Amino acid sequence: MTDASLEFEIQPNSGVPIYRQIMDQVRALIASRRLPQGALLPSIRQLATDLEVNMMTVSKAYARLEADGALERVRGTGMRVRPPETLPTVAERQEELAPLIEPLVTRAMQLGLTEPQLIASVRSHLKERQSWNKSPSTSRG
Amino acid sequence: MEQIAIDIAGLTKSYDRKPVLQGVDLRVPRGAVVGLMGMNGSGKSTLIKCLLGLVRPDGGSARLLGDDSRNLSPEVKRRLGYVPQVVHQLDWMKVRHLIQYTSTFYPDWDERWVSELVERWRVPLSDRVQALSTGQLQTLAIVLALGHRPDLMVLDEPVASLDPVARRDFLRSILELARDGNRTVLFSTHISSDLERVATHVAILHAGRIASFSELDELKDRVKRLRMRAIDDFPRELDIPGLLTAKVDGRSALATVSTVTPELLDELAERYQAEVRVEDLNLEEIFVELNGHG
Repeated sequence: MTDASLEFEIQPNSGVPIYRQIMDQVRALIASRRLPQGALLPSIRQLATDLEVNMMTVSKAYARLEADGALERVRGTGMRVRPPETLPTVAERQEELAPLIEPLVTRAMQLGLTEPQLIASVRSHLKERQSWNKSPSTSRG
Repeated sequence: MEQIAIDIAGLTKSYDRKPVLQGVDLRVPRGAVVGLMGMNGSGKSTLIKCLLGLVRPDGGSARLLGDDSRNLSPEVKRRLGYVPQVVHQLDWMKVRHLIQYTSTFYPDWDERWVSELVERWRVPLSDRVQALSTGQLQTLAIVLALGHRPDLMVLDEPVASLDPVARRDFLRSILELARDGNRTVLFSTHISSDLERVATHVAILHAGRIASFSELDELKDRVKRLRMRAIDDFPRELDIPGLLTAKVDGRSALATVSTVTPELLDELAERYQAEVRVEDLNLEEIFVELNGHG
């Protein structure tokens, strides 16, 4: 993927710091899929040499893109384009339901419903939604 | 190795009672590539000469790689590279011999790199030094100063007499030298476009002091020109924190500020009931603004 350097065009005399120019262009290359998911970026040294800029400049750009979640560091290999945001884990998604379940359980208790009765009524609502069982991603987490 | 490569504090120097340096403070971290900018006559060369112990300052202190500039040890001298503005070499020698001669002073002389540099810059090895043009002399001086891969490289207007191709080659060599992040480079220049690729830091010498020393990126991120249009006329004098220069013309105003923040933009929009647009400035424009001539 060393040819990726050719995709960059730096204007040192612009008012935009060079590290920002690199960041913007990496983002654009990702958005246009010229740098597809998982693609390796040129090493810091390679890009700095090709663009004739200071290595610290490239290093700063990569570090910020990593912090933003656009790139990820692969040990011993370099930086690569991160896959788009994956779904949160099952536990995280269940956590998000907690505030809704809390009042549901409270109300069920106030109405004097037993646990099986509560679960049964939730089930009956689920049945009304045919599509539910076909929905994706039950395995993660 | 020292974390601070150059440490200057309160440095003063006058010539014939005319003050040139009036309390210069500058701390350069190891690994930095510093562009020293200043208008003609601002004292860049004097500062560099004081730093290297070639000129005795009137007051204050300067330390290089841990040593006092007035008393540099042979060890530190071996780790230095210096290219003066006006180059004097042993005129009668052939270039090839001068390179050999210089190499004997430095145990760490990198012969392979020197051959590369000689080839890159088409240094005429068989010519006598006195036959070289100003540009060739400067190139040769740079090669000689780079030859031992100095830990600290100081150059006084190194690109002044180089053509654009040689200038580009010079900048490439500086980048190569600085690549490991341990070597420090300080060079004075009034051509800001040369700095923008290679410099990590910029120091601006103005009125005998360092008016600004910061990372180049940070400088470009914070010094901005604000173009404002209001519903009513602006006051004649704009009261804006960190204002460098301002121009007011009725309902339009142009203000350059040393540190732009989202809060400042909101405040100005609110205070003047104005639409505020932020414009980026390149190094040359920033230099002019910081010298108060915007």
